[in-house]
Amino acid sequence: MSDLTRSDAPRPSVAARLPGLSALGPLLALILLVALGATLNENFLSAGNITNVLARSAFIGMIAVGMTFVITSGGLDLSVGSMAAFIAGVMILGMNALLPSMGVGLPLVLAGMGIALGVGLLAGLGNGLLVTKARIEPFIVTLGTMGIFRSLVTWLADGGTISLDFGVRQFYRPVYYSGLFGIAWPIIVFAIVAVAGQIAMRHTRFGRYCEAIGSNDKVALYSAVNVERIRLMTYVLLGLLVGLATIMYVPRLGSASGSTGMLWELEAIAAVIIGGTALKGGYGRVWGTVIGVLILSLIDNILILADLVSPYLNGTIQGVIIVLAVVLQRGKSSSA
Amino acid sequence: MERRTFLTTAAIGAATAATGVSVPALAQGKKAVIGVSIPSATHGFMGGLNWHAQETIKRLKTTYPNLEFVLATAGAVGKQVNDIEDMVATRNIDALVVLPFESEPLTSPVKAVKDAGKWVTVVDRGLSQPGIEDLYVAGDNTAFGRVSGEYFKANLKPGAKIVVLRGIPTTLDNERVDAFQAAIAGSGIEILDMQHGNWNRDKAFQVMQDYLSKHKKIDAVWAADDDMAIGVMEAISQAGRQKEMWIVGGAGMKEIIKRVMDKDPQIPVDVSYTPAQISTALEVTALRFVSNTPVYGRFIIGSTLITAENAAQFYFPDSPF
Amino acid sequence: MSAAPERAAAPVLELVDVRKSFGPIEILHGIDFALHAGEVHALIGENGAGKSTIMKILGGFLAPSSGAVRLDGAPAPYASGAQAEASGVVVIHQEFNLAPDLTVTENIWLGREKGGLFLDHRAMRAGTQALLDELGSTIRPEARIRDLPVSDRQMVEIAKALSRQARVLIMDEPSAVLTHREVEVLFRQIERLRAQGVALLYTSHRLEEITRLADRVTVLRDGAVVRKAGRGELTEDGMATAMVGRKLEDIYPPRRHQAGTVALEVRGFSVPPLVKDVSFTLRRGEVLGISGLVGSGRTELAEGLVGLRPATGEILRHGIPVAIGSVRDAAASGIAYLTEDRKERGLLLDKSLTENLTLSTLARFGALFIDGRREEAALSRAIAEFDIRAPRRDMKVGNLSGGNQQKLLLAKTMLGDPEVVIIDEPTRGIDVGTKSQIYAFIDALAAEGRSVIVISSDMPEILGLSDRVLVMRHGRIAGELEGARVTETDVVRLVMGTNEQPTGSASHV
Repeated sequence: MSDLTRSDAPRPSVAARLPGLSALGPLLALILLVALGATLNENFLSAGNITNVLARSAFIGMIAVGMTFVITSGGLDLSVGSMAAFIAGVMILGMNALLPSMGVGLPLVLAGMGIALGVGLLAGLGNGLLVTKARIEPFIVTLGTMGIFRSLVTWLADGGTISLDFGVRQFYRPVYYSGLFGIAWPIIVFAIVAVAGQIAMRHTRFGRYCEAIGSNDKVALYSAVNVERIRLMTYVLLGLLVGLATIMYVPRLGSASGSTGMLWELEAIAAVIIGGTALKGGYGRVWGTVIGVLILSLIDNILILADLVSPYLNGTIQGVIIVLAVVLQRGKSSSA
Repeated sequence: MERRTFLTTAAIGAATAATGVSVPALAQGKKAVIGVSIPSATHGFMGGLNWHAQETIKRLKTTYPNLEFVLATAGAVGKQVNDIEDMVATRNIDALVVLPFESEPLTSPVKAVKDAGKWVTVVDRGLSQPGIEDLYVAGDNTAFGRVSGEYFKANLKPGAKIVVLRGIPTTLDNERVDAFQAAIAGSGIEILDMQHGNWNRDKAFQVMQDYLSKHKKIDAVWAADDDMAIGVMEAISQAGRQKEMWIVGGAGMKEIIKRVMDKDPQIPVDVSYTPAQISTALEVTALRFVSNTPVYGRFIIGSTLITAENAAQFYFPDSPF
Repeated sequence: MSAAPERAAAPVLELVDVRKSFGPIEILHGIDFALHAGEVHALIGENGAGKSTIMKILGGFLAPSSGAVRLDGAPAPYASGAQAEASGVVVIHQEFNLAPDLTVTENIWLGREKGGLFLDHRAMRAGTQALLDELGSTIRPEARIRDLPVSDRQMVEIAKALSRQARVLIMDEPSAVLTHREVEVLFRQIERLRAQGVALLYTSHRLEEITRLADRVTVLRDGAVVRKAGRGELTEDGMATAMVGRKLEDIYPPRRHQAGTVALEVRGFSVPPLVKDVSFTLRRGEVLGISGLVGSGRTELAEGLVGLRPATGEILRHGIPVAIGSVRDAAASGIAYLTEDRKERGLLLDKSLTENLTLSTLARFGALFIDGRREEAALSRAIAEFDIRAPRRDMKVGNLSGGNQQKLLLAKTMLGDPEVVIIDEPTRGIDVGTKSQIYAFIDALAAEGRSVIVISSDMPEILGLSDRVLVMRHGRIAGELEGARVTETDVVRLVMGTNEQPTGSASHV
């Protein structure tokens, strides 16, 4: 029998080691979009426009990175958009309330950031506990909390808008609008989150466990993986990232209302799926998610820059591109 | 018609009716129930409308103890239909004040209320079949667009270039935009771009960023809504082009009114389209049950140009909007 | 290589010089294979020899890379499993093709529902009942597949195939999960179908079944036909030799073990609702067999011991009580459980070998970041040590043969270096060559001083491996046999409850 072993020894081929074409589908779509944008408008590749697109992608982007882990482990979170609005509301109210005692300055802004991360953590923990301990379907849990967060922020705002004190806002504003070496802060933070996310997914136990649980949670359970804790952690991580996104979002317009973060959850989920993560879980690709987010932002940007179609049809173009991006991967992977 | 004046009149009339005990249309002891069905506060204008509705109901309840109100807010058409049916079935309302989410689907449910012999007041968006409502109170979308357009025409030279942000694609938005375009017709003003900002600050911010990337020279922006105007302002200040263009929003958000009052060169004027129209509708409907004042008909609350001179009377610091 | 017996009748379905490659790897090398009406043709070979691929090609699920599939002498007119079924070629898969949330009736009529605008539930239910009666099965037509044990699902699969009026019926190890009684029913049905002129392809690792059923035997090895024989031409020993390519000695390890100190003691252990008040001891270097019918609580007991099910009672390791509330606790106490359901609970089928191998012991491969090189090294060791045969290291585990999956699962379990290993059905659905390897591994574990519990429905396996045997019935220990008393008769008596031994003497320690 041992001689058979030798002859059957694994012989990895070079082709097998390269990432398949299907994996590069979203990247290809992104490159095509950039090329399209560049031919349609000469300002497309200007530093200003690129900064705009990247910076506005940052919020959804950070959230989508967190969403990648939730979806990879077989979960879903529909509440992130409302959660962002709620966190923004609480953060602004908190900062306004602390203003008389703390005055405008770094401590106040840090306190605001602390509030945002704290509320995000608690919100994520709430979702996670309902999913893992109460064993309710994530879809239902987060559909519920989506409504709860949304109505809470509307209530906090009295149906209107919660605005950050003008003086504080002036001080806090640079967190969105300025940056380091000409790169805006939201872009820097998003890049850090994305790189850390990619490493966590590929090179840590947490990422590996997320994939295992999403692939088959029974196998994970039988393999001594603390399934509940990992699931809980994905929701907490997502909550924290929503908090982080909110920290970058609030200085942009300095306000929160019932319409803040509307449909962010769907954009984040769409970005994750476009990026090649399986909606049913089991396989996650953080860099793909980043590309997905960029694709979504770019479509919007190009449609406005280019005057290609009636604005009524923007949604159609977006929908077609989203479906195409996914079909592109699917088609290639099944033939491979 | 000027809203504030009308309100004052109505309030005085109502007060007289209450204190003078002048043969109320209602039998003593019996309470009249008024159902109020409005869309929920999903954006600034509706938030303001919700606030005004609640404030007015509070005030009317204190003034007239024999009036009872049932307020329901709906996030979708279907929910609103259900609300109305529930009000009739379980709360036995005597009158319905409704701001239809959409005209078509609400027409027959509201007609059913009317056919059951209830009083019907329709606010802001008309039903698709005329003659159902007893009372119609609405803003004037055509005037809203026209007043804005006239300001652009008067203050820009021929050849000036402007960009427009539209709202959510609806009839209401179309009416405004058509009226705006008609008003600037022949002025030589060129509309460079017209995209949907969905009456949303964030979306307006992004659309404006893209306009600024795309167009080297913009003389003015018709943001058509104060929420969108705020997003637009941020995008402009990010690009450092505040001096280049001015902005006209609309609806009368307090922050914007404040800027007009303070003579902010970026926001020279605003155009009223007040969420307080719901107050008018409620007050007039209440009159029907506490007095004999004849209150049938249509009340169209026109859109007025708000300037630094008259801004004070449109400024409600307590309103969330 | 001997020629198959010549028959006047032309084959119903045949493969002519069929080759099949996946990527650069050719796994079938010019197969000629024919099924004749009214005959049972057995296809045997080790796991990975190419049986499943041949069946998939016959059933229209795979297209050959070259060569021809002929139905009634003409090129087969189907390109999918559904079209093949329409042509009367029906495959009963090893991985059941049943919708778990639908009822038995709904599954049997799936895709061919009776009725016009509205479903004719009554007719379908009656039809299902008739089929099940014919099979002598007591399954309720309203039962959901999810709630049925594996053997019942197999029966439903067979009933479904019968209802398809198959001309050619291809059965992939149908007896693997059936009890003796059920196997008898299955055989009667096969004989009945043969008499009706159906062409049958039968595979099984139980060679005695082949001897009994098959009119012809084709032996595969490494993707090629190595032997064709008619009824009676091959002994079971001859079949095994042809499959493995060498002479097979006794597949069971030769010697009994020297039991050492008590490694595990279980007292008054109950796993609600089935297992009640079980007590036993396990010594170092000992192999303890647990026998009993499916549903007697064997698996539940094991899962209770490793914290997969809530349980009460005492577990002592080396005389010290331990609390086990999860698989992690069990691992910390040096106890590991190897599940009977390797596809659903043991391995991540859509993940690579490495990811599966290290899943339960990932913490050992780096504190913060996983050390990929150490993982690769571990896989290399596992491949060498457990003789795992994978064409590619980065392939999905689901594409490995059952035997190699089982070896990988064993390697994964042993990576945690457990002292007590509970192996549930160690050789279910595994060919005879791999079986003997796995028996040798189990033997080696005991020889190293580890304690092994083997749970099995396979009587020879229990008898051949165990130093001591516990028999479970209705969730309790029905008896314990040791040394010379471990005989088939005694075990079967205890399993069936035909011999009410004074249990006090044997079972309650």
